[in-house]
Amino acid sequence: MIQFERFELENGLKVIVHEDNSTPMVAVNVLYDVGARDESPDKTGFAHLFEHLMFGGSLNVPNFDMPIQLAGGENNAFTNNDITNFYDTLPAENIETAFWLESDRMMSLNFSKKSLETQRKVVLEEFKETCLNQPYGDAWHHIADVAYRKHPYRWPTIGKTPQHVENATLEDVKHFFYKYYCPNNAILTVAGNVNIAQVKTLSEKWFGPIPAGVTPKRKLPREPIQRKFQQRTQKAKVPIDALYLAFHIGGRKDEDYYVTDLISDVLSNGGSSRLYRKLLKDQQLFSSIDAYITGNIDPGLLIIEGKPAEGVTLEVAEKAIWKELRLLRNQLVPEKELLKYKHKIESALTFSEVSILNKAINLAFYELLGDANLANLEGQKYSAVTSEDIHRVARKIFTKSNCSKIFYQAEE
Amino acid sequence: MQVDRTIAPPIHLISKIELPTPERIVLSNGIPVYISNMGTQEVMKLQIAIKAGRPYEDTQMAARATGRMLREGTKRLNSAEIAEAFDFYGASLSLPTSLDYSSLVYYSMTKHFPKLISLVTELLTQPVFPEKELTTFKENSKRRLQIDLTKNDVVAYRKITELIFGDAHPYGYNSTAEKYDRIQRKDLVQHFQKNFHANHCVIFLSGKINESILQLIDQHLGQIPAGIVQTPFFPTPNTAPPQKSQFFLPNSLQKAIRIGKRSMTRNHPDYIGFMVVNTILGGYFGSRLMMNIREDKGYTYNIYSLQDTMQQDACFYISTEVGNEFLKPTLKEIYLELDRLQTDLVPTEELEMVKNYLLGNMLNMVDGPFKVTNVVKTFVLENRPFEGFQQMVDLIRSISAQEIRDLAQKYLKAADMWEVVV
Repeated sequence: MIQFERFELENGLKVIVHEDNSTPMVAVNVLYDVGARDESPDKTGFAHLFEHLMFGGSLNVPNFDMPIQLAGGENNAFTNNDITNFYDTLPAENIETAFWLESDRMMSLNFSKKSLETQRKVVLEEFKETCLNQPYGDAWHHIADVAYRKHPYRWPTIGKTPQHVENATLEDVKHFFYKYYCPNNAILTVAGNVNIAQVKTLSEKWFGPIPAGVTPKRKLPREPIQRKFQQRTQKAKVPIDALYLAFHIGGRKDEDYYVTDLISDVLSNGGSSRLYRKLLKDQQLFSSIDAYITGNIDPGLLIIEGKPAEGVTLEVAEKAIWKELRLLRNQLVPEKELLKYKHKIESALTFSEVSILNKAINLAFYELLGDANLANLEGQKYSAVTSEDIHRVARKIFTKSNCSKIFYQAEE
Repeated sequence: MQVDRTIAPPIHLISKIELPTPERIVLSNGIPVYISNMGTQEVMKLQIAIKAGRPYEDTQMAARATGRMLREGTKRLNSAEIAEAFDFYGASLSLPTSLDYSSLVYYSMTKHFPKLISLVTELLTQPVFPEKELTTFKENSKRRLQIDLTKNDVVAYRKITELIFGDAHPYGYNSTAEKYDRIQRKDLVQHFQKNFHANHCVIFLSGKINESILQLIDQHLGQIPAGIVQTPFFPTPNTAPPQKSQFFLPNSLQKAIRIGKRSMTRNHPDYIGFMVVNTILGGYFGSRLMMNIREDKGYTYNIYSLQDTMQQDACFYISTEVGNEFLKPTLKEIYLELDRLQTDLVPTEELEMVKNYLLGNMLNMVDGPFKVTNVVKTFVLENRPFEGFQQMVDLIRSISAQEIRDLAQKYLKAADMWEVVV
C-alpha cells in the first residue's frame, strides 16, 4: 500500500507526494503526457530525441546534469510509446536542487543548435547500438509494422528510420516543446524522506510561476480490428532463426488487461510456465522462448517470441506454440496453476514497493491513467481473475485472424 | 512569490553516511550468517555464496555448469517439480556464478520462506545433475553463445579480458562451443563434491527477518556437511607487453573499443583513490569521457570506464561502441583524456562535484535492506572490516587534486594499456 497525497497547482500541474521516512533519499519524477504515439508518421522518433534535448540546458541552467551530481544525486529519463518520463534521485536534504532544475527546463528550454546537432548524432548511435547493429535488433520494427495499420504504435519509439531523426529541425523542437511540455500536461511525483508541507511550498515556489499551456488534444486513429492473418518472412544476418507471433489485445484501461497479463504469465513467467517447461525443457523444440504483453495505454499486443533448437524448423516450432494456445482455448487453467501466478504477482507488487523511485514512477503513471490510487488496487484486480476469464479472453485473442507472424530467417 | 532562478539552491553536505552493521551468527556447522534485518515491506532475500568459482575448477566451465544445474534435479525431485515449488509461492531463485563464487539467491515474501527452506537446502546438498538436463543446458548455452559472438561488445569484452589475464587464467578464459561440448556430468559431480560444503559457504540474509526464520536456517542450512577447504588456482597472469589489436566483424555499423589493463583488488591501499580517478575519467554521467565523446562530439551513445574487481586480481577498462567513421577520432580523444588526468590538476569545481556525487552514491548504497546486504557481502567476501566503509567516505572527502594526478600517473599510462577494436 502506497500512502500518498495529491494536489494541483493553478497552472494545472498535478503533484503527488509519498512520504517514506525509512530512506535518506528522495525521488523526484516528472511525467509528460507525450510519447511516440503523438508523433506524425513522417517525423517518428521525435519524442525520444526530444527527451535527449531536455538535458541540453535551460534558461538559467546551462547543464542539467552537473548540479544534480553536485547535489549528490543522479538522474535519467525514458520514453516509450505513451509517455516521456524524467527522474532524479538525490539525498533528501538536497531536494530543492531537483525542483530548480526540473522547473527551469519545463519553463524555458534552451533551443540550442549545438545540443540538437550533438544529440542527433548520439541518438543515431543509439539507433545502431540497440537496433541496426544488434542481431534481431529490428524485430520490433517488423512486428509493429505488420501488426498495426493505422495506429501510431506502428513505429517503435526509437523511430521508424534513422532518416527521420536526421531530418529533425530546430523548428520541430520548438513546436514540440510548446505543445507538450507545459505544466498542465505533466505529473510531478515526489517519494521519499519528505513531508507534504515541504513539497507544497517547493512546488508553488518553483513550478507555480510557469504559465499553463493549451492542453494538447489527442486524436489518434483507432486501429481497425484485424480480420486476416498477417505474416512476413525476413531474411537477416543472424546466426539462428527466430519467430514472433503478435496478437492484438485490449488497452491498459481495458478490464481484461489483468486477464491478458495473467495469460502471458501462464505461458512464460518462470521455470514452471507452460511454454518454457513443455516446449523448451520437455520437447526441446526451442532454445529460448518468451511471452509478454506490451502494456501500452491504447490497445496493445501479446507477443510470443522464440528461437528454435538446433535442427528444428520454424514451421515445427510455430505449430508447437499453436498447440499450447489451443489448449488455453479449449481447457480451463486449473485453479492451482492460476493461484501460482497470483502469488507471483503479490510478490512482485510487494517487492516493487521497496524502491522509492519505483513508487514515484508508478504513482505518476497511474495518475495518468486516471487515479494514482490504482497503484494500490492492482493486487485486487489480479486476484479477481478467474479461470473462466482466462478461458474467455484466450478464446478471443488466440485466433489465426488476430495474429501477425514474423519469421526471421538466418541468411546462409 | 518571486523566485530568482539564476541562483541555484544551496547544496547541503550529507551529514551522515553509515553502513548499518549486520548481526552475525554462526550455524551449527560453522557457516557464518550476516543479517541485515531492516526495511518496510514483508519481503526477504537469502544469498548463499559458495567458494566454487573458476579458480576452483578442474575443468573449464565446470563452475558455471554446476551452479546452473543445481535446480535441475535432486534425489527426490525433478527439474519441473523444483521449478513448480518456487513458482507456486511466488519466490524467485537464481543461481548466478561470478568469477570467484557460485551463489544461490532467493527472494520471496517473508511469510513463504518456511515452506521453501528445506528445498533450498536440498538443492545445495542433494543435486543429481541429470544427463538429459545437462544436454539441454549445453545446447541452449551454445545457441546463445552463437548469437553473442555476432555482437561487437561481447567479442571485445572477451578479447580484452583474455589478453589481460591470458587464456589459461580463470579470469581470462572464454566459453566456447567446444568447451561446452567437452563438459561431462562427472565434471559437475566432482566440482560439486569438492566445493559445495559448509566450509566454503557464507550466508547473507536481509529484509524482514524474524527469530523463527533464523531457527529454520540453522535447522536446515546448518545441516550442510563440512568439507575440505580447497586451494584456488591462480597462475601468473599474462606478462606480455600490451598490444593493440583489431578483430573486425563483417557488416558491422559500429566498432566496439576496449582499452584496459590489470588493476588492483579492493585490499590495495590505492583502491579508493583510484576509484575516484576512475569516476572522474568514466565512472558517471558527468565523467570526462562522457562529456567529451558523447555530450560534445556525439560519437557514441555510451562510454564508460570501470574497475572490475575480483577476489585475487582486477582489471580496469574503458568501453564504448562508436559509429565506424568515429573510430579514429574517438581513440584520439580517449588517449587525450588519459593524458589530461596525468598532466593537469582536476579543477576545484569538478573535484567537488565528483566527491558529492560519490558520497550521494554511497548514501544510496546503504538505502534499504537489499542494497545494504550487497555492501555487507562485498566486505565479508573480501575479508575487510566494516569500518572500511567509513574509511571510504573519509578518503573521498579528503582526497586532493595532487593525489588524483599522482594516481593517474601511476595507473593510467597509455603504454600500459591493451587496446582492442572489434
